[in-house]
Amino acid sequence: MSEIFKALADPTRRKVLQLLQRGPIGAGELADQFDVSKPTMSAHFAVLIAAGLIDAEKQGRTITYRLRMSVLEEALLGFVEVFGIQLMRKEDEPAAAAGEKKPKKGKP
Amino acid sequence: MMPESTKSSHITRALACAALLLGVAGLVKLLSPAHIYPEWAQRVLGALMGCVVVLYANSVPKILAPLARQRCNPAVEQSLRRFCGWSLVLGGAGYVIAWLAAPIAWANLAAAISLGLALCAFLLRCAWSLFRPR
Repeated sequence: MSEIFKALADPTRRKVLQLLQRGPIGAGELADQFDVSKPTMSAHFAVLIAAGLIDAEKQGRTITYRLRMSVLEEALLGFVEVFGIQLMRKEDEPAAAAGEKKPKKGKP
Repeated sequence: MMPESTKSSHITRALACAALLLGVAGLVKLLSPAHIYPEWAQRVLGALMGCVVVLYANSVPKILAPLARQRCNPAVEQSLRRFCGWSLVLGGAGYVIAWLAAPIAWANLAAAISLGLALCAFLLRCAWSLFRPR
């Protein structure tokens, strides 16, 4: 249960779950929706898979993610989203472990 | 394929549910006229059955995934799974509330209507997915 709370505590992961509620999405297409580096995104996916909230299916070179949430977990996601509860400590965030994508430098 | 550990945990949970239902039914039957009003014995058993429906419906979207995935469009399959889970959980909750709160003469009918409406909603949703114009 703590893994589920940990997974739902991060806004990026909640956004991933909301996007997946529309249907299965490929890893690249999903990552394009966020302004974070690929390792950070992979860490987020790993947390969601460990919590049993999503499934990953490899087809050739592409990975498709799909939702695997029970009704209670979905209700919890909605509850956390509505009340904006922050349940995770800063050091647990994958961004802290994997490193956020640095902003691209513009041409002079 | 479902992993062996998941399969055995499902079987364990199903057996625990069955044991709980039989145990409570036996207990209520034992205590019924002397220690519990017959009306409340009926209500407790009804509510317990509703709880089992809620418990199973809650896990429907997780359990059904590998079975349904092979047969239809993944997005449609996922939305049907979610709709099925939600409608049965709400129907089951209605079943429990009906047994606990409705007048005893109407409780059975109200509970059946609640669950029936949930099933009808799911079937209509399936029909809509199958026959809607593309």
